[in-house]
Amino acid sequence: MVFLSRTQVIVAVGAVLLALYVLDLVRRRRLSEDFSLLWVLSTATVAVLGFSTPLLVWVSRLLGIRYENSTVFAFGLAFSLAMLLHLSVRLSRLGQENRTLARELALLRHELEELRAGREPDGAAGTERR
Amino acid sequence: MSGPRVLVIIPAHDEQDSLPRTLEELAAAAPGLDRLVVDDGSRDGTARVAREHGVPVLCHPFNLGVGAALQTGFRWAVARGYDVGVQLDADGQHDPASLAAVLEPVRAGRCDVSIGSRYVRRSGYRTPLARRAGMLLFSGLVSATLGTRITDTTSGFRAYARRVMEVCQHDFPWDFPDAPLLIRLGRLGFRLEEVPVEMRERRAGRSFYTLGKSLYYPYKNLLASLMALLQRPAQP
Repeated sequence: MVFLSRTQVIVAVGAVLLALYVLDLVRRRRLSEDFSLLWVLSTATVAVLGFSTPLLVWVSRLLGIRYENSTVFAFGLAFSLAMLLHLSVRLSRLGQENRTLARELALLRHELEELRAGREPDGAAGTERR
Repeated sequence: MSGPRVLVIIPAHDEQDSLPRTLEELAAAAPGLDRLVVDDGSRDGTARVAREHGVPVLCHPFNLGVGAALQTGFRWAVARGYDVGVQLDADGQHDPASLAAVLEPVRAGRCDVSIGSRYVRRSGYRTPLARRAGMLLFSGLVSATLGTRITDTTSGFRAYARRVMEVCQHDFPWDFPDAPLLIRLGRLGFRLEEVPVEMRERRAGRSFYTLGKSLYYPYKNLLASLMALLQRPAQP
């Protein structure tokens, strides 16, 4: 039986606090549910690994990691990377949607000006495909 | 005027100083052609200058990039039934006197995209060494993959057939519509052709291609070219 090391406890408590904060953000509608999923998963995993020494030892042996604390950090790091990649993908999509909207706005604004001036627009906006 | 309807698309970003002469030269060289200025989030009087010349203006609310400006022009051209779109830079690099030469192959139906190139024939245009090396690389890449010799992949003096604009209005590179775009269009089955033109030094304003971008440019275009080769082109 391995005792809980100090780092293990610190990391696990930190993870629990972070999970509570993430849930609170969702409650206050500052974070959308889909974004919270990865956060909740990662903090829960790290907390479980941190508190349950037998599980941590088993997982460490399984992965060939000699020093159990490293396992906790490895999981934390893996989730951080997953989150960063997820955010990059979301940002790319958001950027593309943003540009599409801006271009659509330019077309609509011109049509509005034409309508105000009493000319019939030939219709350019409103057919954008996503 | 009978025959295909042609729209000259002029993307402009902070070009109030050079735009008037470009528009006047255009009106003199190609009277009767419809024109459209796409103001890509200018902070100066670009849109006002265009309106004063009686040219319709589409204003992006902020700067989106030259490709996005062109894409907006394509949407307009397709929705309003134009058969050919000609891209002309606002900064005076492109001589409207050469417009007919760039337009002709597409108008005659010989190809779907014609590119006004400054390297096909010796012209007065001089380029720095590093940039020339990059251009050689991308020119080789495009020529090898398409089987058509394209020497100037970055030229923004181009004519696009309607079917090309129909595809591009939905999917177009927003920043640099260069080598990867040409590869993609070629793989979609569009015929590309190069036409020799004279290019001049820009009159005023700043280039879309700034120093910071010059480091990112080779990376992005190499990667995007590779992806354009790996992607299975969706048939339009």
